[in-house]
Amino acid sequence: MKPIRPPSPGILAIVASVIGFIFAAFATFDYAQGLDRQLHSTYCSFIPGLVEATSGPNACTAALYSPYSSIFRGSYWGGIPISLFALGVYAFFFAYGLYLLLARRSASRRSWQSFALLTAGPLVVSLCMFAISLVKLGVFCKLCIGLYVASALLAVSGWLAWKYSGGVAITPSDPDWYPTDPTAKPIGAPAPWYMDLPPDGADIPLGKASLVGMMVLSIAAFAVLPALVYVAALPDYRPYLSGCGVLTESGEKHNALVNIPTAHPVARAVMFVDPLCPSCKSFHERLVGDGFFDRLGINVAMFPLDSDCNWMVTQSVHPGACVVAKAFICADHLARSRELLEWAYGDQQTLQEAGKLGKEVVRNRIRERFPEIDPCLDAHDTQTRLDRMMQFAVANRIPVSTPQFFIGGKRLCEEDTDIGLSYTINQLAPQVAK
Amino acid sequence: MKVYSRACGAIGVVCLLGAISFVHHQVSAAAFRLANPGIKDASRMAAIADHSELAYCTPPFKLVLQRVLNACGLVGQEGRRGCQPTDVKTFASISDADFNALFNPLAQRGAIIMFDDNSDKLDETAKQIIQQKWDERHGARYFFIVARASRKGTIELNRALSHRRANSVLFDIQETIKEPGLDKQIGLLWLGSEYAQLNVDYCGTWQTSRPGKLCDTEAINRSAFISWVDCRL
Repeated sequence: MKPIRPPSPGILAIVASVIGFIFAAFATFDYAQGLDRQLHSTYCSFIPGLVEATSGPNACTAALYSPYSSIFRGSYWGGIPISLFALGVYAFFFAYGLYLLLARRSASRRSWQSFALLTAGPLVVSLCMFAISLVKLGVFCKLCIGLYVASALLAVSGWLAWKYSGGVAITPSDPDWYPTDPTAKPIGAPAPWYMDLPPDGADIPLGKASLVGMMVLSIAAFAVLPALVYVAALPDYRPYLSGCGVLTESGEKHNALVNIPTAHPVARAVMFVDPLCPSCKSFHERLVGDGFFDRLGINVAMFPLDSDCNWMVTQSVHPGACVVAKAFICADHLARSRELLEWAYGDQQTLQEAGKLGKEVVRNRIRERFPEIDPCLDAHDTQTRLDRMMQFAVANRIPVSTPQFFIGGKRLCEEDTDIGLSYTINQLAPQVAK
Repeated sequence: MKVYSRACGAIGVVCLLGAISFVHHQVSAAAFRLANPGIKDASRMAAIADHSELAYCTPPFKLVLQRVLNACGLVGQEGRRGCQPTDVKTFASISDADFNALFNPLAQRGAIIMFDDNSDKLDETAKQIIQQKWDERHGARYFFIVARASRKGTIELNRALSHRRANSVLFDIQETIKEPGLDKQIGLLWLGSEYAQLNVDYCGTWQTSRPGKLCDTEAINRSAFISWVDCRL
């Protein structure tokens, strides 16, 4: 009877770590690209680096812009991407897997068990992120899936390591571990290295109890160090935040803007939105998701990018948006403006399709959901109020693009409306972020 | 065992340093791009919200408009004073017919407020139309009141009468709207009977405040033309 350890846990750990490291590196690369406050393509692929980065909305940008992709967003512009921690962790497991492969039988039982326990960490994180992708985001980014697979493989290697931590007892007649075919291994010849056969009478050492703690500290250091370097290298964003203009007219003199009631408003904000604009939808979701929306007293000015009512637009970007904008104004009379806006955002794709077929089709969609506001859509006052909202935009010389967001009279730069949102709001209106 | 653990530990540290170096490089590169953004492509920058500009804003129209705005005190001066017939004749530098033709594209946008003979009093229909036209601003920047008098009576009397008619419309707007800054929005011209008289065709092509009533050359000139003007200057 000889205790041996198979190479499979080490090999699997190395493979999983290489996969995890590559995917974490590309995710970090995508994230760090955005630190210049510009829009960039993302490597949304199962073979990142071999396939061109893609621009425009995709599952990876959705995950990247979500509040779950990083931590400490209020303290650092963009926060600290969680992929950074993965980068260090997979570097650690690569070295650990290599050790298991090389040292195998001579490695202590506790070192194999420590490895097995530590592999549970990435698995738990991946399961959490998987659940968030499923429940909160509704999409799965390919880079994230790559990381899930890596952590699953790592967990399998951990399970094998646990299983073989005490070694496998074999006899010379065991064909699985100790081939007895004399043509394959002549009697008396040394066994090949991968057999890891111990000398007669040798046993697997138990190892020191402190090893587990030491490994936990090591993996923590590996995980945290890249994040510390990342934070130290971040530029100072404060000079860039307040250079995007101010509201020259703070209020609309006819009270045409729609005030959306919120739970605990502590600062005033003015927002120009188009209910059929995907960026407005994403921005709204970020404000709500980050908990800012309910801490703002928000005055909304409709700014539909639809030439049907907006004289600043020569060609409709979002046909049908004028009808939805009027519906939003009408819903204010019933104190249901937020409900209508969130319905329009939720049903945006359908409404966009309807808009291409004609404004009557959009109106029918609205009528189905909010029949009581239909007569108001034709009211002269509704058109006048919409005009006044857009005249307010003219008075403030805002860019003809949506969304436009002003907090405390200062315009939030377009570049700060995604990953930099929390930090920027924290800087411009600290009372909101508290 | 120790050899393996040290070697693998060293490999781990090398991997970590590689990761750290990669992270530092990426963040530093982004910081450089942030500080040196390069020249933005102007064609990709969003336009700035502005007033409407419709097809009738031809260069000759805008030239006259600019002169009206300058001469009548809407631009560059503190007090509005309006434009008298002699001013208009001077700055417009075009014939009566050409001056009127400039405003023809506003037939659907504007209206003609009609008055009784030798009167500057607005009737109820006139007030309703003024309110309606004012509310139909959309994206326009300037509102014009161009008052006239028929040729009946002396030039001086008609100058004064057309001035009062222009003021009647202005005061009605001021009373109803009660907004600051109206002086900088409303262009006021009074032409008396000596310049740019309307012909009877305007009775049929423009909305008037007295539809179905007698509309001849005299009646159509006892009037104030009102309209928002969708031009940027």
